[in-house]
Amino acid sequence: MTKKRKRQDDFQKVKLKVGKRKPKADNATDVNFRTKGINLTEQLKTGTGPTTHRHLNIKDLLSQLHHYSGGVKQGALVGLRELLSLHPHLLDQHLSSVLSEVAAVFTDKDSTVRAAAVRLLRFLAQCVPSERVAPFFPLLSAHLTCAMTHIVEGIQEDALRVLDVLLEHYPALLSARCTVLLRNFLELISQRRLSRAGKGVEERKPGSWTLSTAPGRTVTAQQWRLTVLTRLGCFLQAVVEERPAEERGTFGDFLDGEEKGRGCVTPLELTWEEHAFRKGGVQVYENSGAQPAVPSSFRLRPVTEPGAGVTEGLVSVETVRGFAATLVPLLLEVWVEASTSEQGKTDSAHLLAPESMSLMYQVLTILQLLRRLTPERHQKDDLDAWFRSSYLNDFKHHFMKNFPYGLLEVAKHKKKGELKRTKQQAAAGGAGSVEPLALNVTLCQVMVSLSSRPQGGQDAEWLGPIRGFATETLSSGVRLSSRHLAALLEVVWRLVLTHRSRAVTEELLQAAQVQYQQRNLTLPVRMLLLRFFSRLYLQEHQAQPHIARSKVLSRWLAALPLQLAQLGSRNPHLSAQLLQTVQAAAAWKNRDLLHSLQTHACRLYDPQEGSVVLLPADSQQRLVELVYFLPLLPPELLSCLSRCCTAGRVSTSLAASLVRLVHIRSSLCSWSAGRQEVAVSDVDYFSFLFSTLTGESSCSHGNVCALLGLPVMLAWFSSEKLAALQHAGEDMVLPPSPLSPLSIYPTQQEQFNHHWLIVEEVCHCLETLGSRSQCFDVLQNAICKNLTGLQVVPDSTAAALLRVVSRLLDLSLLPNEILLRFLSDCCLSLLSLLEQEQGIPNNAEKSEAVRDVCLAALSGVPRLLRLVLQSLRVSDLCEEEFSQLAQTLSYLLRQSQLRNHMLANAALLQHIIQDLTRYCQGEAQEQWLTDLLYCYSVTLSTHRGNLGLRDIY
Amino acid sequence: MSAPMEVVVCADSAEQLWNCAVFELHSGTNLLSYRGGNTSARSLTVLNGEYILGAQLGKNVINVWEIQRKDQLQQKIVCPGIVTCLAASPNGLFLLAGIAEAIYVWEVSTGNLLAILSRHYQDLTCLGFTDDSSHFISGGKDNLALVWNLASVVQLDSSRAPEPRHVWTQHSLPITDIHCGLMGPQARVATASLDQTVKLWEISSGEMLLSVLFDVGVMSVTLDPCEYFLFCGGSDGSIFQVSLCSTNLSRDKTFQSDSEGNQVFKGHRTLVTCLSVSMDGTLLLSGSHDETARLWDIQSKQSIRSINHKGPVTNAFIIPAPANVLLPDSHPAVPLPRFSRHLNPSEQSDGPESGGVCLRLGASVQGPEETYLQKAEKLHSLMCAVTDKSVFGDGENTKVRVSELEEEVKTLKKINKDLYDFSTQLLTKPS
Repeated sequence: MTKKRKRQDDFQKVKLKVGKRKPKADNATDVNFRTKGINLTEQLKTGTGPTTHRHLNIKDLLSQLHHYSGGVKQGALVGLRELLSLHPHLLDQHLSSVLSEVAAVFTDKDSTVRAAAVRLLRFLAQCVPSERVAPFFPLLSAHLTCAMTHIVEGIQEDALRVLDVLLEHYPALLSARCTVLLRNFLELISQRRLSRAGKGVEERKPGSWTLSTAPGRTVTAQQWRLTVLTRLGCFLQAVVEERPAEERGTFGDFLDGEEKGRGCVTPLELTWEEHAFRKGGVQVYENSGAQPAVPSSFRLRPVTEPGAGVTEGLVSVETVRGFAATLVPLLLEVWVEASTSEQGKTDSAHLLAPESMSLMYQVLTILQLLRRLTPERHQKDDLDAWFRSSYLNDFKHHFMKNFPYGLLEVAKHKKKGELKRTKQQAAAGGAGSVEPLALNVTLCQVMVSLSSRPQGGQDAEWLGPIRGFATETLSSGVRLSSRHLAALLEVVWRLVLTHRSRAVTEELLQAAQVQYQQRNLTLPVRMLLLRFFSRLYLQEHQAQPHIARSKVLSRWLAALPLQLAQLGSRNPHLSAQLLQTVQAAAAWKNRDLLHSLQTHACRLYDPQEGSVVLLPADSQQRLVELVYFLPLLPPELLSCLSRCCTAGRVSTSLAASLVRLVHIRSSLCSWSAGRQEVAVSDVDYFSFLFSTLTGESSCSHGNVCALLGLPVMLAWFSSEKLAALQHAGEDMVLPPSPLSPLSIYPTQQEQFNHHWLIVEEVCHCLETLGSRSQCFDVLQNAICKNLTGLQVVPDSTAAALLRVVSRLLDLSLLPNEILLRFLSDCCLSLLSLLEQEQGIPNNAEKSEAVRDVCLAALSGVPRLLRLVLQSLRVSDLCEEEFSQLAQTLSYLLRQSQLRNHMLANAALLQHIIQDLTRYCQGEAQEQWLTDLLYCYSVTLSTHRGNLGLRDIY
Repeated sequence: MSAPMEVVVCADSAEQLWNCAVFELHSGTNLLSYRGGNTSARSLTVLNGEYILGAQLGKNVINVWEIQRKDQLQQKIVCPGIVTCLAASPNGLFLLAGIAEAIYVWEVSTGNLLAILSRHYQDLTCLGFTDDSSHFISGGKDNLALVWNLASVVQLDSSRAPEPRHVWTQHSLPITDIHCGLMGPQARVATASLDQTVKLWEISSGEMLLSVLFDVGVMSVTLDPCEYFLFCGGSDGSIFQVSLCSTNLSRDKTFQSDSEGNQVFKGHRTLVTCLSVSMDGTLLLSGSHDETARLWDIQSKQSIRSINHKGPVTNAFIIPAPANVLLPDSHPAVPLPRFSRHLNPSEQSDGPESGGVCLRLGASVQGPEETYLQKAEKLHSLMCAVTDKSVFGDGENTKVRVSELEEEVKTLKKINKDLYDFSTQLLTKPS
């Protein structure tokens, strides 16, 4: 019952009536509300990441690369490029996936996709450094290999583009996996020839490869080969350049095999490390040290470092040889086909179309690179010998047949087809047009490397055309680019060593000399030629007599000093190189060079614009050292040198060593008591020392000569500088006064110091001359003759004179009156200068030196103090000078070393002081007078006190 | 007084008192003096402890004295030119003389001129031997120092001229002195030059180890026996002591005197021409152009004695006292032969006066030796043969043994069969 009722409740019938609104259902939605959207912009962005203009993010793009449609894939690649260039940070996060996806489409069958992939790869390579790509490189190269060996030709072609990109940006990584790639290259242009007779595997020879032609290609077989060979050349270049161990100068193979004969040791690179005590602790050896623990050679990723890119495949001679054995016959075939294709067209076989020329050029480049593949020098010789034994005849036959190749002049009116071909060719190979010179030079290089030195005679016949070509090219006066020139010079070097005949050497070197003598060469070319000659001289001179006797070489050497002088300061780098050669040749007593050096010495050592003052310091040092090797030091040169020393444009230490070198070359010093040719005559030497001593001044030396009993020479030092000084304006010099009888010209502090150090050196030289009394006489005469007449003296000169006299003077020697008077004038003038300059702060060093030298002279030279005191006449002084005099006097009185001399001149002193006090009477006693009187009383009273004591006892 | 351990040998360029003299190291007493002529720099040498050789200054003559006979000149060797430097090998077998640009090599026992080495471009200044006489170093005015292997120089090989083992070209002015340390071919060599540097080299590798720059040209150089210090005589009379154990790491350094080892000995007035350190490294002998030779105590840097000469000192060195030096009655073990002036060994040997036979090695005449691998293989096969023999013995023994073994096999087989039969019986027997 209850059941029924309930059921009725559930299903009540709704009665609908016409004209009434339909009642709302219970579950009807109330739509009486309004909505507004909420935009959370940041959240939206983070959710999907940056997108392209098509609103695709990186995940979309990467997944699109798996799409079956080529258009979509290409779009994805373009989009990737756009996205990554806009947001480089994405690259860091997604590098692995991007690279692996891009690599996967290398082998896509749609060419537009591949082109886009290459473009993307190029973009990636620009952004990502080599060490970050390294972990993905196995993958990349696997895909590359796959593409290169693909059966579809278009993919093969595009694989080469990929290779281009990788070669450009990651040569080290690529060269580390050269073994696989080299094989791929072979397969691109050739195919294994399966032996028909025997089906068994063992009968296939690995070496039998033949060139293949694919008729279906859009380009001709030659063009295809050219593209492949160009890449192969680039690749081998990369392999050679990434070789870690080999050091190569600018000249590359210039020295190959040259140093080996001398028992050359591979230089050990020493690294000096600070040995830290008590830091490392004691090292405990396993097995009680019997077996030293070998540091593990395990490396996590051996290919990452470009330096350690050890090419396992190509380190030994055998592997290189094996590869070469496969490759060289193929290259020869290519060559033959290229040359025969020409023969049909023209009657002269040495003229080539540009296309075959570049093909041949590539062949030769690859041969040249093959030689350089082995890392070590002796292996290289092995390889050369092997090349020589196996391929010399082939090479001679094919390469040398039409040797100096020329370019076939293309008809002026180009046909359409031809135009198209050239375009294709330009697209195909980077080295679209090769000049015949490059081809010929490379050919020379390849052939010359096959010549062997012991059998030079046999090789001479086929080397003849090469020699002719080298000579002609070099001596034709054509300006060569530095690359061609380097290659040609290498050829010349090798030829000279191979031929060992003087005539050939002369001919070749003459040709190189023609190049050298050209004007306006660019710097690298000039440097190249210079290095060529200097290394030829330095390295081969000793062992090879035909080079040693070469006239061209010695002419070249003889021209160097002039070049050095003409070069001036324009190119210090070049000058340094020149100087190095000049110095070596001078040390080795090359007669021509020494003669020319002697001729141009005055220009080189000119104190105004000679190289010695213009060049940087280390070149200056070389030039100074060169003085030692000059056979003769004539007076003019010595005058230049002396002025160089004093002018202050060379450093003080260098000037001092110059003085020492001249000293060594003089007859008065013989460090090795053997026969040493004397370069400087004694008179000149004395004049040199004296004029260096007096600074700018100079002197005539008749008296020196007369005294030494030597032939009288004329005055050779110009005295214009000092003469000019005599007429200098009054504002520059201090005017003479009773207190300073000479006008003193105050020099700069630096100049004074410079001169002072040189004076010390000169004094030392004079001291060691042997007979001291004679030396002093000479000096005394020189001073009397040349300097006593002067009115204006630089303070450095005055100080120098005092210094040298007090150093040279001996108890047994008595200076004459004139000298003493001049010295006393100097001394007094210097002392008064000191008083005047007391206020100037930065002259402390100079005034210290001047003060010392005055005191030393006053105490050391007998009667000098007396003369100084005698010349002080108080009556002549004006009033301002009283104080100055008094200060000087009290200063002298305070010096303990002068005390005995003062006591000896007590009467004179007393007289002066009496005068002084008399003249000052009437005025209030000034401070200076009190000081003076005090000093005077102290000095003399101690003396009297002593006397008094003595009297008592 | 006990016999002196070490003596000082000095020579000067004046010939007033004597040519050269021998002094006792510690007391400074003059033991012996040798008269006649004078000696040029770096050309006084003691040969084999029995002779003193000195090149006459400015003449092409080498003076020879027997070391025990003072005063008397024993012999004069006439040379093809003026001798600028002279060196005798420490083992007394070879004599080197630098004559102009060439080095002359004589064999002392026969007097034959073995080789003339002309690799220098200018006059030689000094020659020095390693202590084991295996190498010598020559320095010249052409800035070059060359290291020669004596064995390869002496080797009879007419096809090519002997080449120096190393050519050191780093100096930029003439080389003035060379000192070669101890340790034979592993020695270190110090070279001094007018370019104000002293450089230290290694003979074995030929590398430069150290270069020290001074304020003045360096005229002489020596090392103490331990190679703790380098002593360099400057052209201004000071002697510089450079510590080689300092912590300064750079390969090129400039000399500065400091408290730790780098010091200056002052006393000479002009250039110091020769330096030598005593065997125990405590005394330094220096000779100078100021006509004195001084003896210094290295520890305290004081001059403890000054030996006055009449002229510039050209040679001064300390050597262990030769046995003969104080025995006036002794004689040299071997008389000195006549030294030949020409390089023609064939004619020399033909002459009737040369009774001896000149023995010189040819350039590796015997075939190449076996390699170690071959030797090892040979040894291995030998050892294998021995084991084979001991195990298997001779032929007869083998036969007997084979038959014995066969018999044993038979019995074993029989036993096995029996065992099998027994067990099959046991198993197949119905229970």
